[in-house]
Amino acid sequence: MKHRPWLTVVATVAALALVASACSNDDPAPSGGTDSETAAVDEFGTVEIGPDDPINVGVAQVISGADAALGQDQVNGIELALDYLDGKFDQTPGTLLGHQIELAIEDEGCTAEGGQAAATALAADPSIVGVLGTSCSSAALGVGDTILGEKGILLFSGSNTNPALTSEEAHQPFYARTAHNDRIQGAIVAEYALNEQGATKLATIHDESPYTQGLTAAAAVNFEAGDGTVTAQEQINSEDTDFKPVLRSIAEGDPDVLYAPVFVAACSLILKQAVEIMPDVTIMASDGCMSSDTIKNAGDAVNGVFLSSPDISVFQKGDFYSNEFLPAYQDQFGSAPTSVFHAHSFDATNVLFDAIEQVAVENDDGSLSIPRTALRDAVFATSGYEGLTGIITCTELGDCATDVTIGVFEGPNWPVDGGAKPDTPVYSDTKSLEDVL
Amino acid sequence: MQPGVRVGVIAGVVTIFLAAVGLIGNFTELNIIGEEVTFAQLMLVMIPLVAGFVATAPKVEAGELVTFTPQRAAMVGAVSGAVAGAVFGAFVVFVDAFGVERVRSVFLNVSPVLMDYLTSGRPALTAAAILTVISAIAGAAGATYRALPDAVRRPLGSAIWVTLLFGFLQRIVPIALDQLEVERDWLYSKITGGLTWVGAIVIALVAAGISVLKQQKGGAIRGAIVARRDRGAEGPRITPLSIVLMLVGLALVLIAPQVLGSVISDVLGTVMVFALLGLGLNIVVGYAGLLDLGYVFFFTLGAYSLALLTGATLNTFIGSSEPVISLNLNFYVAVPIVVVIAAVAGVLIGAPVLRLRGDYLALVTLGLGEMIVVLVTSPWLVPLVGGPQGMRDITSAAIGDFGFRDPRHFYYLALAFVALALFVSSRLASSRVGRAWTALREDEQVADAMGVSTTSYKLLAFAIGGAIGSVGGALFAVKIGSLTPASFQVLVSIQVLGIVILGGIGSLPGVITGSLVLVGLPGLLREFEEYRLLAYGAAVVAVMLLRPEGLVPNVRRSRELHEDELDQDRWVRDVVLDEGVAPTASPQGEGTG
Amino acid sequence: MSSSGSAQPVDARLSGFATLPWRRIILVVLGATIAFVVIAGAYKTLTLPGDERFSGDFWVDQIVNGLGQGAILALIALGYTLVYGILRMINFAHGEVFMAGAFISFFFADAYVKSGFLNSNTYLALTILLIVSIAGSTLVAVLLERIAYRRLRNAPRLVPLITAIGASLFIQSAFRGFFGPQPRGYPLPTLLEGSVVLAGISVAKVQLLVFITAIVAMVALQLFVNRSRTGRSMRAVAADSEIASLMGINVDRVVVITFIVGGILAGIAGLLFALAFTQVVFTMGFRPGIAAFTAAVLGGIGSIGGAALGGFVIGLLQAVGPSLFLKGFGVPSENSLRDVFVFLVLILVLVFRPGGLLGTGDAEKV
Repeated sequence: MKHRPWLTVVATVAALALVASACSNDDPAPSGGTDSETAAVDEFGTVEIGPDDPINVGVAQVISGADAALGQDQVNGIELALDYLDGKFDQTPGTLLGHQIELAIEDEGCTAEGGQAAATALAADPSIVGVLGTSCSSAALGVGDTILGEKGILLFSGSNTNPALTSEEAHQPFYARTAHNDRIQGAIVAEYALNEQGATKLATIHDESPYTQGLTAAAAVNFEAGDGTVTAQEQINSEDTDFKPVLRSIAEGDPDVLYAPVFVAACSLILKQAVEIMPDVTIMASDGCMSSDTIKNAGDAVNGVFLSSPDISVFQKGDFYSNEFLPAYQDQFGSAPTSVFHAHSFDATNVLFDAIEQVAVENDDGSLSIPRTALRDAVFATSGYEGLTGIITCTELGDCATDVTIGVFEGPNWPVDGGAKPDTPVYSDTKSLEDVL
Repeated sequence: MQPGVRVGVIAGVVTIFLAAVGLIGNFTELNIIGEEVTFAQLMLVMIPLVAGFVATAPKVEAGELVTFTPQRAAMVGAVSGAVAGAVFGAFVVFVDAFGVERVRSVFLNVSPVLMDYLTSGRPALTAAAILTVISAIAGAAGATYRALPDAVRRPLGSAIWVTLLFGFLQRIVPIALDQLEVERDWLYSKITGGLTWVGAIVIALVAAGISVLKQQKGGAIRGAIVARRDRGAEGPRITPLSIVLMLVGLALVLIAPQVLGSVISDVLGTVMVFALLGLGLNIVVGYAGLLDLGYVFFFTLGAYSLALLTGATLNTFIGSSEPVISLNLNFYVAVPIVVVIAAVAGVLIGAPVLRLRGDYLALVTLGLGEMIVVLVTSPWLVPLVGGPQGMRDITSAAIGDFGFRDPRHFYYLALAFVALALFVSSRLASSRVGRAWTALREDEQVADAMGVSTTSYKLLAFAIGGAIGSVGGALFAVKIGSLTPASFQVLVSIQVLGIVILGGIGSLPGVITGSLVLVGLPGLLREFEEYRLLAYGAAVVAVMLLRPEGLVPNVRRSRELHEDELDQDRWVRDVVLDEGVAPTASPQGEGTG
Repeated sequence: MSSSGSAQPVDARLSGFATLPWRRIILVVLGATIAFVVIAGAYKTLTLPGDERFSGDFWVDQIVNGLGQGAILALIALGYTLVYGILRMINFAHGEVFMAGAFISFFFADAYVKSGFLNSNTYLALTILLIVSIAGSTLVAVLLERIAYRRLRNAPRLVPLITAIGASLFIQSAFRGFFGPQPRGYPLPTLLEGSVVLAGISVAKVQLLVFITAIVAMVALQLFVNRSRTGRSMRAVAADSEIASLMGINVDRVVVITFIVGGILAGIAGLLFALAFTQVVFTMGFRPGIAAFTAAVLGGIGSIGGAALGGFVIGLLQAVGPSLFLKGFGVPSENSLRDVFVFLVLILVLVFRPGGLLGTGDAEKV
């Protein structure tokens, strides 16, 4: 056998590596808290912002790939919040406590790895005060919320709806969201089916994403609690095209309502195929399907399909949303918002700004000291705040959209481009987490 | 002239393609150097430049090597560039005439923004003419570049591509410099995001300088290496220089995370995991020559096995629950078990399947990869692996209080395993098993006839490769801390295959290189995330067509892949060029020369 | 370096361990398990208590659906099998060839439905769409051959396969870049809406069209390959390309023609698929591509009849399989395991009949 010296060297690396790691340094400690005037001893330290420096706010949204619209919509909402700091929408950002605000935008790719990469990048920057994100729950759960939480950086989401994020077992102390918890939406869907549709049998279809699985699970659990029977809970693949076998199988169970809150591609196909296979079954879906693309693709098949979604008409508080916000959005970004989540992110950003104003210590030289834990506490203490999406009161577990209003819209009267008017919901209910399972 | 025109047309079509796909329009603001050199501009200039370079390549015509004089080269290059520019210019004119909005209703990226950028407000014909002229100049430059003497060309080339590389890595290098607390505003502008002109010039000069030094000193080293290779030795020899180099390299690898910070370490961690996967697949595909398209099978198996063995919890829509099988072992106890599970799975699956012919094997392995992905997402296995919600609370492989979830710590854990895998692979390659694999790969029937039990060795390769892949999966689980099925797609198999192929099939340094390029670069160049698969597909095709042995080839495999050409060379050398020996046999016939 | 003198012990140890009895045991166990799942599953499903049992209508509907799907798969599978017969390579990018035709024809279909042409002159419109779809698919197929595959004809088998995978990714991404990731609704002419009743079974008109067109195309292909001169050349090259070239056949030309024929079939399949599902998206080629590839292998790759048979079998398995074989075991959402089931069947077939259903009985080693 040939003498291969480099092997021995390589083999030594294995041993050396572990030794080296034991001797490694940690990240620089968060900027010291003892220098500032703050009385509180903040275990996560304080963010020191020089007199001429901007306040850095992180943004972790999905801005590339198939889900880019979801993230971009929210980035737009955040930018409008910056604009509105000076009280008007004039496409120039306002200032907070005399400092500019700068956004550090990271792409979380709607995957756990993407969330890890984005959170790591933001966590490595000691000047980040808080992060607005993520778009997708999978980028936050166990990943984003933990990485940022370990540095005491608040993660505040406008579109994570997965219930697990604010559950007893999984909640991270520095995580909060203004988006509705899917348990509420699922419960209201079940309620609508039971009470308004008089359904006794429900079938559900979800796909391989946690979002749709959570929604259907919540709907099923609440439906059964209302003495209904769940005849089938089928899982499909979002990239499939032939759903006829599944639909035919579901039809055998003779359900009254089929709840299929999947995304546009699969949703359009299911709607079309269900027309042939189960014409008498009422079909329901949710935000994932609420898009002008669905109307374009499914055409007449959307008639009589009921979509659940946060009730936008609630946004009409003092006509602010329709008279000022929407035109400003249209002006700056050239199109109407593609989902409701931009409003949630707008609210989250404003809540964060309010909290910063509350806890930041303005030093004599014009610099700011923002203690991290105090900031988090201020956000979590938010109560009765009137946001675009409703009254915002944060619970200990980070759910700030405590009273959620979900509306059910009957197709083709959906509130999207190409939908028929009037696009008001045929049913609307407000619930909080205590009311649902 | 003809070849110049043809290359030019192709280059023009390529530019149109890039515009239609969005690689120009979406990057008009991506500053590379100052504000003057943006990515879009670079594309528009580099393509005709490369066209000029390619058009003036020396060719063999009628048995003679034809090269171009510098003047003629410049002309051919200019023509080539001009044609490229004209073709693209015609496209601009066409879109303008037809109406941008109408074109955009089909080709989404041919937008008013793009057209504005290309025409800068001028009428389309003028813009087309300007493009043609610029491209002609670029083409001539490309051709002239080739015609330059080596002493000038190499430093110039280094200067250009190193500077561009630093320009592309504008998001990462500044972070590293900040970590090292080096003043960096002179190098990377905070305003434009890219290199400053000062910085660009400095880098260019440094790169050129290094290139010049390499040429002077490197000539001697290269001569020594070539001489050694000609003598038939196959491994590196121990010299004082090589030991110093290795130690320096080792030191760099070990302190990288400290120096580069957690963001880059995070990327490097993923690079390590994929390198590990590549090493495993290298044994299956590279050593034993089995077409395995379903490597994600072992990756997924390893990740979920580790999770179940170390007490991870299932995510449910209301919180969490315990999997039906859950043990609470230490990571370091669980890993060997994962290895055993994978090996057993490899044998069980391999037994019926490995005797199938190559292409059938490819399909079946692909199917296996798909199957496991479907299974971990399926409602049927939710009580075990959590379905779409996935799993959480994966161990951080802690030793005492020291956890490995922090990117900079994880790097070392992964590095240790990669080193181990390198060791194992290398020992296998030079052992009897490795030779059996080579025999198997080169001609299975002959190997069989010679008494090599082909099925057993195939099984061995599959099992060992699978075991390594599973460890990669286990590490991945530790790194992220959560498992969602979205991370486990068939695409992973293809990516790992790409790493092995691109890096160099059968070559260990090749696999590492492949992972650095295919995983590291995209991780660092986040702006191009949308185009990752496009570039990936193109890269795979290009490598297969032009350099199938990969970036860092394994000498032996390189020989195998170019067998025909080598046979031909040998025939030409021995039969034709030997004075007075008339060629009697066809080149293809002489297999062993 | 030790010589081969001590080769015996290691090899003997290894081959002693993994010698025939082991493999046969595993094979038998595997076969028995799958057979058990199939037989017991079917039995249990069919003997479920009354209210849980599937109705007769259910099975009929699923079978009809499966045959319709199978027809499309068969058309695509033929493309795989033809190319394989000639070049001994799997054209992994064939799924994208299929997608390209359908997607390109979408733009025409969209224009036609907006102008009303689609419903006023349905036959003419459909004919044009068919031509466009065929042209699109064929163009991509020919480009693939010319750019990616031609140079690699004599390369080791791994190389063209990987090139094909890379090409597949590239084409998908290119279409995504050009046209965007959103699925597009493909219009259905009113003439094709609704269903007809044949022999008491309700069949959607589109499904009928798919089925008839597919059969016609396959028969035409069979005639072409067996009766025409070009077909003879194709068969000659498939049998032995070196001898064929010595006999004066222009192998390059035959290869291009093969790709064209494959492209034509894929283009037809693409239009049928678009009409059947009224949706096109840049990823639409990937899964049908793999399913068709599976079908070609299942039927016996290189065999035209095999590809056709394989297509229908896979189509049926996908539609009927999970319900028939898995429902009985109480597997939740059995349709989500559809792909697992199909692949298991494939492995079963290949293990006991490596040449596929219509192939030769043994594994040909090349």
